[in-house]
Amino acid sequence: MQSRQVNPLLLALRPAVFPAVLLGALEWYTRTVGAKSDALAPPTAAARAFGNALLDGSLWPATFFTLGSAALGLLIGAVLGILFGVVLGLSARAARMSFLSVEVLRPVPSVALIPLVMLVFGFGLRMEVTVVAFATFWPMLVLSQAAAKQVEPRLLEVALALGLSPIAKLTKIVIPAMVPRLFVALRLGVAVALVVAVTVEIAANPHGMGYAMMIAQQSMDPALMLAWLFWISIVGFAINAGASWLQTRVARSMGEQI
Amino acid sequence: MSLLRFDQVAIHLGGREILSPTSFEVAQGEFVCIIGPSGCGKTTLLRAAAGFLTPSAGAVVRHGKPITSPSREVAFVFQDYGRALLPWRTVEGNISLALEAAGIAPADRPQRIAKVLETVGLGAHAQKFPVQLSGGMQQRVQIARCLAQEPELMMMDEPFGALDAMTRESLQDELSRLVRDSGLTVLFVTHDLEEAIYLGDRVIALRTNPTPANPSLAAMINVPIARPRDQLATKEHPEFLKLRRELYQFLGHH
Repeated sequence: MQSRQVNPLLLALRPAVFPAVLLGALEWYTRTVGAKSDALAPPTAAARAFGNALLDGSLWPATFFTLGSAALGLLIGAVLGILFGVVLGLSARAARMSFLSVEVLRPVPSVALIPLVMLVFGFGLRMEVTVVAFATFWPMLVLSQAAAKQVEPRLLEVALALGLSPIAKLTKIVIPAMVPRLFVALRLGVAVALVVAVTVEIAANPHGMGYAMMIAQQSMDPALMLAWLFWISIVGFAINAGASWLQTRVARSMGEQI
Repeated sequence: MSLLRFDQVAIHLGGREILSPTSFEVAQGEFVCIIGPSGCGKTTLLRAAAGFLTPSAGAVVRHGKPITSPSREVAFVFQDYGRALLPWRTVEGNISLALEAAGIAPADRPQRIAKVLETVGLGAHAQKFPVQLSGGMQQRVQIARCLAQEPELMMMDEPFGALDAMTRESLQDELSRLVRDSGLTVLFVTHDLEEAIYLGDRVIALRTNPTPANPSLAAMINVPIARPRDQLATKEHPEFLKLRRELYQFLGHH
């Protein structure tokens, strides 16, 4: 039987068929049935609004504000979370002592902190970073604790037999052994950080992409609002792809055969 | 004077007596094998000698001092080489770990790594990761790491138990050679009595469920077979066959 030859370009375009159909349908709907809608705008109008935002210089500052506060908050949440997670994972006593505090604080919705943090820091970068750090701290803590607990016990005995110092045991055995699981935690943290940063901007903080989207909505500009929504999803996709690339690279350098 | 002395060492784990009071000595440069059925406490005894656990009674004494914690002078080769190597470090990196622990200057490490890798025949594999090596080669890496530690005593817990017969025999011969060259003292746990006789200067047999009338230390025999030994000639040696019969009957009946 003769195998059918498929043009590689067509093959690569296949995943784009469904979104294109969807966009076409939206374009048709917003130009006919929903022409008077205040909530929806044709994708072509959204694309024009996006182009304007790009040209008038409002796109990048808002993007960098959101990404910067998400990254800074994640950094703080991750460093503290991993630090406490390692301690709680290696010491059963510390885990018992902190159990109640962790279980009481962990379920607090991070955005419920906004009024308090706003009183302390006012609007701006610091309040957003604080809420993101709080939101990312808990998953990082719980997942690093589990990761530290699951370090191969034999390797800890090797550390003992070789006479590694406690610091060397941590940096040369425990932390590297945790890396694969830490990446799972980090990927989760990246997603949480972006969600919380945008939420804080929609709810309170007059900066960033979330705020820009709110302003567009309040000034009855659905095209611009949809443009921001589209841009936020692109940014989220890019960050996730970046994290995935980093994960693969680190795994390769640590001898994983992938 | 003996290098290592077991002085009425008894070990209880979970309320059960694993090892009844046991005394014996190990001389400098001696190769002592410990055999016995599973559950007889041979690994526990080895771990106590390495300082991983403290005996319930008595003491393991090295150079006149009781062992209370692991020491760099005492290397430990685990049976499960796959779990005892750092999977994220190359062969070279795994050996370097012992040097880093001992505070060897970075500039002096490559030369010492190359030397031990040469000793175990892994010179060509320094840049590989453990998963890229066969089981026998991984165990060689672990042995090389122990040698890099420059210990005076090497504890080996069924190191060849998980390997196929041919790999095991070649590793036995290499181990004999390198122990002879280095003057190391070895305590070697195995459940394979031929391996115990082939490698050991002395074989200590332990029994399970010790009682005051039948203590853990069941038998201690010397192996008066000249070295270097040979997989064929030694195993056909009348003395080898005699010891094998003796120990076989002992293990079968206890």
